[in-house]
Amino acid sequence: MAASDKVQELHVYEMNERDRGSPAYLRLSQKPVNSLGDIVPFSNKIYRGDLEKRIGITAGMCILIEHKPELKGDRYEAIFSFYFGDYGHIAVQGPYLTYQDSYLAITGGSGIFEGVSGQVKLHQIVFPFKLFYTFYLKGIGELPEELLCKPVDPHPAVEAVPAAKACEPHAAIASFTN
Amino acid sequence: MASTTSLKPIPSINLPSQSHRALASNFSYSKPFPFHGLNLSWVTETSSFTSSRSSNPFTTTAFFFNKFKQEAAPHTPKPTKVQELHVYEMNERDRSSPAVLKLSQKPVNSLGDLVPFTNKLYSGDLQKRVGITAGLCVLIQHVPEKKGDRYEAIYSFYFGDYGHLSVQGPYLTYEDSYLAVTGGSGIFEGAYGQVKLHQIVFPMKLYYTFYLKGIGDLPAELLGKPVPPSPAVEPSAAAKATEPHGSIPNFTN
Repeated sequence: MAASDKVQELHVYEMNERDRGSPAYLRLSQKPVNSLGDIVPFSNKIYRGDLEKRIGITAGMCILIEHKPELKGDRYEAIFSFYFGDYGHIAVQGPYLTYQDSYLAITGGSGIFEGVSGQVKLHQIVFPFKLFYTFYLKGIGELPEELLCKPVDPHPAVEAVPAAKACEPHAAIASFTN
Repeated sequence: MASTTSLKPIPSINLPSQSHRALASNFSYSKPFPFHGLNLSWVTETSSFTSSRSSNPFTTTAFFFNKFKQEAAPHTPKPTKVQELHVYEMNERDRSSPAVLKLSQKPVNSLGDLVPFTNKLYSGDLQKRVGITAGLCVLIQHVPEKKGDRYEAIYSFYFGDYGHLSVQGPYLTYEDSYLAVTGGSGIFEGAYGQVKLHQIVFPMKLYYTFYLKGIGDLPAELLGKPVPPSPAVEPSAAAKATEPHGSIPNFTN
């Protein structure tokens, strides 16, 4: 059958290096506890799953839905995109639970990701600075070699290699989103 | 695959240099909205809203994770024919849009600023009023070297009785971009693909080219020969006046 039937996995690390003014916690509920009404726009850096290449950024927002005192965390509804430089972007929507992993819906994409469908698993390593995503992508052509890798296993001390952090030419995709 | 879209970088649009900041400040909407008991008069440029936003708002949490076993659903092939749909989005300054919410409370456009908006939508041949756009732009970052901003845009295009299309993706005030078509209703139910956003006059006139898959043939009414975008384009008088022959049935307003 067509190549678009198969599922392709893509691994990405999202890192908040605290140099993008993110997140912007808008306490619009005006309550001392995280409450419905609070909105959190954010934008972080993303690296390839082996942490050797800078790819781009995430950009979007989290809508605080409910504080979960018994779980010492919060439920957000997240709507954001992953930007892969000239390759295009992937748009997602779904739950972000600060206390456990979740799956978000892939709502679409552009460029090489045009027409994409599927879901993405969000795994939080260090709240809210380091997250590891596994995309299960359908409906697109073969992903370029440059985006595929053997991912580094998530653990709290993971860091992008210095060359990728510095966005040196060999450690970043062409026109990586910044 | 049948459809390939060019990934060549799109040349930046020449925007009037006075542009963004002056225009944006004109659009700060100063009427207070009574809303769920919250006084929202702080949405003006001169904000008296005091944020209790602390520098460390997140409590560190212990977390555990459940492994969810996801079963792959059987794949039903979608038709891969691509249909192009052209529309013009026009801000005629009569919908109180945009509402620039300077929630970052910084003088420069910054993460935290939100911009809900709604404009009028016309068919690509500018002969018919079809409806409106409606949604939100989330300011992500100011891009000083391009004299513009990056937004994450989440909004819909409403086509009256025909239904709507929802999109999500980048809005860059300084160059064209492609957004994802995330879905639709009515004749657009099941739609997927991407849409090219071309800004003609920031932020008053935009031209969109949808590359739609997964839907039936679009009605002829929406497929007139598009007028090539240029700064002086205007809808026909009948379309602006939403006369019956200048609009689609129950165009969204």
